[in-house]
Amino acid sequence: MENKNPLSPHIQIYRWHISSLVSISHRITGIINIIAITVICFWIASLLLGEASYEFTKIFLQSIFGKFIILALIWSFSFQILSEIRHLIMDLGYGFELKMTNITGLLVIFGSFILTVLIYLI
Amino acid sequence: MNSVTKKWLFLKASSVVLIPLMVWFILNLVSVFDKDYIEVVSFFSKQPSKLLVSLLLIFAYFFSALSISEVFEDYIQDEKFKNVANKALNIFAIIMPLITIIILFNLTV
Repeated sequence: MENKNPLSPHIQIYRWHISSLVSISHRITGIINIIAITVICFWIASLLLGEASYEFTKIFLQSIFGKFIILALIWSFSFQILSEIRHLIMDLGYGFELKMTNITGLLVIFGSFILTVLIYLI
Repeated sequence: MNSVTKKWLFLKASSVVLIPLMVWFILNLVSVFDKDYIEVVSFFSKQPSKLLVSLLLIFAYFFSALSISEVFEDYIQDEKFKNVANKALNIFAIIMPLITIIILFNLTV
């Protein structure tokens, strides 16, 4: 049977708001996170190969680029955590006013960077 | 309760479980990622890491499969293609954590 349901319009036809930025970023970080978790699965599997085989992974993770990847990953996870908390609060019926959605959206964006720095420094 | 409501409830329940697991994981990832082989293996092979990483993988793949299927619903019109994409997604979301958890429980220092 042919599906007559309309598709979501392409994102470029909307005027950008903080909420739409947080929403699309939530989807993008969600996809990045599951790719990262899949890479972590391969990382765990590579441990079975032994210490000698792990040397290359260790050198990569200790390099500036490796550290940047981990930092980016922490930001992506932090963003997802804060954005998910925002969604759960909205699911409870709070924070739907325009001013509040802008405030919580900004909290997610700036909070994710602050959380990343805090986690990396701990 | 219809299937869409059930899906939404599963999505919300898994997200509630995932938030503390993700916080725990990134805090530990930062402290272990650049360490020597022995320290990394010892982290993944001790409890509660084994259990918490396993739970993280199960819930993360479950949550992702549900969320990504929503993206498919929004942007893919062809029903056949959408069904194939959803099936591939579900198989991947079962196999990937399953294999990793088996590896995790066979990992010893």
